[in-house]
Amino acid sequence: MNFFTAFYLVMFFFGLFFLFIFMILHYRNKDKLYSYPKPKIIPSVSIIVPAYNEENNIAATLNALINLEYPAGKKEIIVVDDESTDKTLEIAKKFAEKYSAIKLIHKKNSGKADSVNVGIKRAKGELIAVVDADSYPNKDALLKMIGYFDEVGVAAVTSRVLVKNKENWLTKFQVMDYSIIAWTRKLLDFIDSVYVTNGPISVYRKDVLLEIGGFDKKNLTEDIEVTWNILSRGYKTRMSYSAIVYTTVPEKFTVWVKQRIRWNLGGIQTIWKYWKSIINSPNYIFGRFVIPYVTTSFILALIGLFLVIRSIWITGSYHLYSLYYAFSGYSLFKYADFNFSISLLFIFAVIFLVCGIWYYKVGFKNSETGKKGIFSILAYSFIYRAFYVIPLVLAIYKMVRGDLRWYTK
Amino acid sequence: MVHKIIQSRFNVFLEAFLMAASIFIIAFALGLYIESSRTNNIINNYKTYEIQGLDFKLQSYYFQTMTASTCDLAVKHNFEFADQVYSSAIDLERAEGANQITDDLILEKQRHTLLRTELWLNTLQLKSKCGYPFDTVVYFYYGDPRTNKAVSEQKIISNVLKEVKERFGNKMILIPIAGDFNLDSVNLQMESYNVTQLPAVLINEKTVLYGFHSAEEIESYVGR
Repeated sequence: MNFFTAFYLVMFFFGLFFLFIFMILHYRNKDKLYSYPKPKIIPSVSIIVPAYNEENNIAATLNALINLEYPAGKKEIIVVDDESTDKTLEIAKKFAEKYSAIKLIHKKNSGKADSVNVGIKRAKGELIAVVDADSYPNKDALLKMIGYFDEVGVAAVTSRVLVKNKENWLTKFQVMDYSIIAWTRKLLDFIDSVYVTNGPISVYRKDVLLEIGGFDKKNLTEDIEVTWNILSRGYKTRMSYSAIVYTTVPEKFTVWVKQRIRWNLGGIQTIWKYWKSIINSPNYIFGRFVIPYVTTSFILALIGLFLVIRSIWITGSYHLYSLYYAFSGYSLFKYADFNFSISLLFIFAVIFLVCGIWYYKVGFKNSETGKKGIFSILAYSFIYRAFYVIPLVLAIYKMVRGDLRWYTK
Repeated sequence: MVHKIIQSRFNVFLEAFLMAASIFIIAFALGLYIESSRTNNIINNYKTYEIQGLDFKLQSYYFQTMTASTCDLAVKHNFEFADQVYSSAIDLERAEGANQITDDLILEKQRHTLLRTELWLNTLQLKSKCGYPFDTVVYFYYGDPRTNKAVSEQKIISNVLKEVKERFGNKMILIPIAGDFNLDSVNLQMESYNVTQLPAVLINEKTVLYGFHSAEEIESYVGR
């Protein structure tokens, strides 16, 4: 058997394995997707909003936070301005003057993670909610999250992120993307494997954040890193599928690429930092499943990318060489030459395609988007998901060059 | 309690693994079955051609005493056999492109190469004994091309030769022979006609054309 055929088969196997994990989890827990525990007591919450150049979004975010349903006196909002060069500070000041629950910290630019850490030090609440300055939680989001903290060992709870701006083809694809991400994350919750507490809104136990030393300033995806840090120490993370937060997603392809480069780089940084937890961590599921799963996803993406490049190279060079003959009036293809023979990889591709459509159909049906047709699913899978390779390649290139700047803004 | 939770989680992974493994095995077995059927089909076809090849060998004993009428019949059969062998070559190439598990076809390709060489030798004998005015075009190519350039070039040459064959019909025999399988009989023939590189087209055992040539160029050597 050809070496590359074996490569494809390994990819198919892992792809099917992960797909079935999610499908089994879904069918076993589909009635529990939207349920969440009612809190026995309402703890005090400090909502930290790290902000850098968010003049277009911060007002709406602060309005959403002011309107969050939560007992008076148990909620404080701390805006940490990271030396914005636009009107973010000015807008936040006006809110702080108007609402006593809002406190404003202005500091020298040092990145999002440090901004959150500064906010934690000033926070008085038992719980710390971190909210991105371009995100807008639903009124009941916080109340639908805090009940999870009644369970022993739960240190962080995250929410379902949905897209606010559905302006163009890119943002519409991201609506589908975020829906699938949220659905799979909720499914992972059923096996204690929520490995990202997303930036738009996640709530943490303050004592645990202090114990782990806060957010890692060097990591490009501090929300992934902090979650892995929490999990590696044996704590649990949860996701409330009913707690909804809307976020602004990139509308331009270049901005989307930059955001995904950061996600990829941060992911690789985090894997690199915690790979020893595969053996060392007291959290069995984190060490034996989460890390291998995320790592394998990266490796499979890289192998897939390599195979795609190889395939393009082979086909491309074949046609390039044939150009000479085409100019001489000879066609490389003739209708009579068309031939279709079923091959092993074709069988696997069909199986994977059918399973993939089933997976996405179920995923979309149980998400914000609702039922999606085959055409939409195919467009999402083969057009949007194909773009994933661009930031992945650029992230690896930047990683090799040691270029680890903040890319989103 | 903890044990139960771990146990249930483990079950999810085990169940997913078993499901993935089951589908993987079924798909693999199906692929293997299809490939084997394809290979068996080619082997069975080869057996038919092999009998015809033996028949040709026997005919060579009668070449000494052949009359004009038996010559006509032999030439007719030779053309029919050549056409069958040519279409089997195409089937073989297609099957090789689709088979991804087994390497059985390499051996088949070698057997077919020998069969085609035998066809060529019989054709030569028939040509000399019967003095029948038809052209022989032997296409020596890489049976296992290593570069995309070679694949691309051979594909075009093959198309050009097919075009020429269609134009000349029963006045020309086209025999494709893989020249890189290190088969002594093929090497000897290539040596005796000074074919030193691949791909090459040998026309009427006289002219050797290397690489790509247009249909018009090839036709200018055919029918001389």
